[in-house]
Amino acid sequence: MKKYYLSTIVLALLFFITISQSVHAQTVAKEAVVKVEGEVLKPLSLSLSDFAKLKHVDVTMKSREGVLQQYSGVPIFDLLRLAGVTVGKELKGENLTKYMLVRSSDGYEVVFSLAELDPSFTNRVVILADSKDGKPLADGVGPFRLVVPDENKPARSALEVTNLIIRFAKD
Amino acid sequence: MQIESHYKKFTLLLVFVAALILVAATNADPVYTDPYKLEYPDYFGNRISIPDHNPTTKQGVYLGRMLFYETKLSSSKTISCASCHQQKLAFTDGKAFSSGINNVPTKRNSMSLANLLWVRNFFWDGRAKGLEAQAIIPLNDAHEMGAYLDKAVKDLQKTKNYPALFNDAFGSPDVTKDRIAMAIAQFERTLISANSPYDKYLRGEYKPTAAELNGMEMFMNSAEANKNIRGASCAQCHGTPKIYMELFHNNGLDSIPKDLGRESLTGMANDRGRFRVVTLRNIELTAPYMHDGRFKNLEEVLDHYNEHIMPSKSLSVTLQNRPNDVDGKSLGLTATEKANIISFLKMLTDSTFVNNPKFSNPHIKQK
Ligand code: HEC
Ligand code: HEC
Repeated sequence: MKKYYLSTIVLALLFFITISQSVHAQTVAKEAVVKVEGEVLKPLSLSLSDFAKLKHVDVTMKSREGVLQQYSGVPIFDLLRLAGVTVGKELKGENLTKYMLVRSSDGYEVVFSLAELDPSFTNRVVILADSKDGKPLADGVGPFRLVVPDENKPARSALEVTNLIIRFAKD
Repeated sequence: MQIESHYKKFTLLLVFVAALILVAATNADPVYTDPYKLEYPDYFGNRISIPDHNPTTKQGVYLGRMLFYETKLSSSKTISCASCHQQKLAFTDGKAFSSGINNVPTKRNSMSLANLLWVRNFFWDGRAKGLEAQAIIPLNDAHEMGAYLDKAVKDLQKTKNYPALFNDAFGSPDVTKDRIAMAIAQFERTLISANSPYDKYLRGEYKPTAAELNGMEMFMNSAEANKNIRGASCAQCHGTPKIYMELFHNNGLDSIPKDLGRESLTGMANDRGRFRVVTLRNIELTAPYMHDGRFKNLEEVLDHYNEHIMPSKSLSVTLQNRPNDVDGKSLGLTATEKANIISFLKMLTDSTFVNNPKFSNPHIKQK
């Protein structure tokens, strides 16, 4: 009796494994994610739905044409803290030589020093936005973009952000 | 007594053998090679890629050049890298699709090999990281060179000249797949094009014509119709003095692309029809143009950017809404402006590069 019981469980398990794999195989269209990696304690890979659960703030930025636009997103500082980057009290000494490389899906890259992103150094809040004026970001802009307020050129407000990479400046 | 002396002899032998092995091991001191000095202008910047395990040396570069022009690397013994990458055409082949073994056409247009030192992701879709990894791909491709690499290693080992060349470059006469790729990569890193009229202009040695100057301005600037600033935004993607930036874009060739480009690599819909923005250096020599060689000449390229940008979800933002005329729908360049941009593009032709004897076929005996 016990033998039958066991083999039923094994069969059932096998069944579920095959089912879940075939279901998985059908969902091949990849979901966009943004990754936080490099000199981090805990690498992150956040989808739009993971991102939606994080505390959002609103930030305004002028478009290239000079029109004020309202973006909503998560402060980069919060993402860095979540990934265990040396910000806040730990941002001193050699940690001040760390930078964040922002990479977009088209290969575009810009950098920030960690101090530029930390509220103990600056009042400016740089966010990774996932919506503009209450709507998801447009094709070619989102699903995630950087919003850097009060900068004369929008060049560092990178579009289609896929990676935030923390590194030490070497030599 | 007898036995003891036998033991002594045996230990002596052991010590001797061990010593031999040690000597042999420590004797494998670094190969004597001369570093190859890669020379390029300061305005190219130093964001170059040379892996630590494959420094560029004179011996390695020479071996790489031999291999680049070596037809023994293909199954038919007729195809070398240079079949599809000819120096006089800035290392392209003038065809929309190249043919290697069996005349099966390649899926994409052959690419110019200039200033690869500044490229990190190779091919039209950026699928190969680093030149060493890239070189293995054509060598192992059934259609390009007949997937002959494993056999070619054995063939080269048996030749008179190659074992010595491998010895000079890598310290032992062993021919290996990795060493073939490493030497070819070293040679490719030396293919630097930096002596075009545009370079001479940057160095203050050449005075551009009025047409060239206007073309340069149009190429570099972005239009701001309401401020009366005219431009073609080319430098947004093809900018910097290298006339190369490592970016991937959908430049509006098709609304529904036949070749998915980078999407087939990443699986992301926003990468549909995205290809690497390639160098425009020597562009006059590298027709036909684009990943599928669809444009026969630069006039057709300019017509494309000016009048035929095809909309799609992944079309680059830079190619949307940059009209030169208030309320314009397309770029709105005049015929003269288009011609001037082409004049500027022709300033990128580097005759020193395409005639440099250091890059030519070393198997052909010079008279
Ligand atoms: C049959 C023609 C053919 C042969 C032979 C060939 N190539 Fe290519 N090469 C191509 C084509 C076509 C591409 C673009 C392919 C793509 O993007 O999918 C290319 C791309 C490249 C690139 C990428 C350049 C860039 O900017 O990303 C390099 C480097 C290169 N080839 C080197 C070589 C070397 C080295 C060899 C010999 C080992 C070789 N090729 C043999 C046709 C050829
Ligand atoms: C949004 C970025 C972008 C802009 C702006 C842009 N290009 Fe391109 N360009 C590309 C990409 C990407 C390719 C390769 C596309 C392909 O083959 O599918 C390319 C290819 C080309 C080629 C062919 C290269 C070759 O080796 O086949 C030429 C020539 C060219 N561009 C000229 C121009 C000129 C002139 C302008 C300005 C009018 C311009 N481009 C503006 C992205 C851009």
